[in-house]
Amino acid sequence: MSPLLNVVGVTRRFSGLVAVNNVSFSLFEREILGVIGPNGAGKTTLISLISGTIPPTSGEIYFESQPITRFHAYRRGRLGIGRTFQIMQPFPGLSVLDNVAVGALFGHTGSGRTLANAREHAREQLHFVGLGNLSNRRADELGGPARKRLELAKALAMEPKVLLCDEVMAGLNLVEIDEVIEIIRRVRDRGISVLVIEHVIKAIKRLSDRLLVLHHGEKIADGTPDTVLSDERVVEAYLGRRRE
Amino acid sequence: MTKPRLAIVATALVVLLLAAIPWFGSDVVVQFGISTLLLAVLAQSWNIIGGYCGYPSFGNSTFYGLGSYGVAIAMAQWNLPFAVGMCLGAALAVIFAFLLGLPVLRLKGHYFAIATLALALAMTAIVSNVGIAGQNIGLVLPPLNNDFLFYELSLGLLVIATLVVFWLTKSRFGFGLIAIRENEEAAAVMGVNTTLYKVLAFALSGLFTALAGGIHAYWITFLDPDSAFDIGLNVKMIIMAVFGGPGSVLGPVLGAFVLSAISEVLASEITTVAGLFFGVVVVAAVVLMPRGLADLSRRFKSEGWRYFANNIKNYRL
Repeated sequence: MSPLLNVVGVTRRFSGLVAVNNVSFSLFEREILGVIGPNGAGKTTLISLISGTIPPTSGEIYFESQPITRFHAYRRGRLGIGRTFQIMQPFPGLSVLDNVAVGALFGHTGSGRTLANAREHAREQLHFVGLGNLSNRRADELGGPARKRLELAKALAMEPKVLLCDEVMAGLNLVEIDEVIEIIRRVRDRGISVLVIEHVIKAIKRLSDRLLVLHHGEKIADGTPDTVLSDERVVEAYLGRRRE
Repeated sequence: MTKPRLAIVATALVVLLLAAIPWFGSDVVVQFGISTLLLAVLAQSWNIIGGYCGYPSFGNSTFYGLGSYGVAIAMAQWNLPFAVGMCLGAALAVIFAFLLGLPVLRLKGHYFAIATLALALAMTAIVSNVGIAGQNIGLVLPPLNNDFLFYELSLGLLVIATLVVFWLTKSRFGFGLIAIRENEEAAAVMGVNTTLYKVLAFALSGLFTALAGGIHAYWITFLDPDSAFDIGLNVKMIIMAVFGGPGSVLGPVLGAFVLSAISEVLASEITTVAGLFFGVVVVAAVVLMPRGLADLSRRFKSEGWRYFANNIKNYRL
């Protein structure tokens, strides 16, 4: 089976700092891939490279076997790559419903939609993430946990084939984390592949089919959650070297 | 009748009333009307790029100058009819918007404002040295003593510009512009072709601004670089649009009408310090109703006089 998303030897330098260093991996259909790593490991940069908000210094990214490395972010969005932002990026002055309607109107399946139709679709997405009763509020009136869900709904309204989630669980309590895990599972059941960046190891271990570990911008492990989390190099990256 | 439908009927009635003014108004009233309607077109044009797309353009006076010179060159130098001049001016403005919009619209906020400001200054210098534009002496157009025509043309242009802005609120294009204003990075990731949309908004804004400039040039019959590319006019359109409510359909038009009337009354009543009072009005408006007349009319009913106090509180003045 050919992968939906294929990242080949991607590097991104910020002047002296190598944020992502020669990383390669694949994301398959209906897969939940967790990406973990200590602070500054390059996780968010990796998502930005795939979604096109920053260009890579070198390397290629393929989506459905098509090279998209030089595509502008909006074209990747239309092809079916949706993302959420760790630092939430709502449209502050718009209603929650219209925030999501932007995705419905311009996303992967948006081209034929009317405004009314997009709002209808947006309403469904808000129900899906459990924000149905807040659709008329202004986005900047929402609290943190609701904003996290709004980010998800915005991306889902694009009806993407791949959803890139940047720390959608950070700052949530245990109950809320369970709810988000449930939402992401249901997203996968809709046939969407998901790449999740997370700090909460327990949560991501339960959620992911496969884990990928970044450290100082390099991939140091890639495999099933159990094998990856018992890998010596991963333990070392998180806890430091064991004294002899 | 539903509320939006009522608003449409009321607006249509006001337009008919305005269209009838030349039949019973005095010459002074009609002249005041022409300049006010043209200012309203400018405020409405600025609303497209500044209010909807969120890019505070100081380059609109450049479009205005190009529109003016399009008409002036066509009529004074080539003896072509007015309509051809309008097309020439509009074409110049749209080409300019595409050529310079591409680099300039990459900048945001203050940087965009300053870059567009520089464009207007550069245009004054360039046009002052172009032979066909009359260099720094300017051009004299064949006079046409028909204020009735100028009035109805200006009103027609304002109606079309306002209808286009109304369409923005109902269309995919307008929705994309609003998304860009609210959060450009998020809009791009969600599939909005931000570069194309911004340039189109800039061109649309430029188109109407240029047409207003063209009408004004033929009406005044004289043109020089300093008056055609006057930055003060750009400031005026921004003040009017912001006073009325940027990002609303009728706000900028209302803003232009109200501020023109205030400045006219001040100028005739207390001639020497009129500018000072006008400044006070603008400052008070920004402090008391920073989101403009449109927002005031929506919220005053529910919040009453507290609306003003809340604004002062919210902005920690």
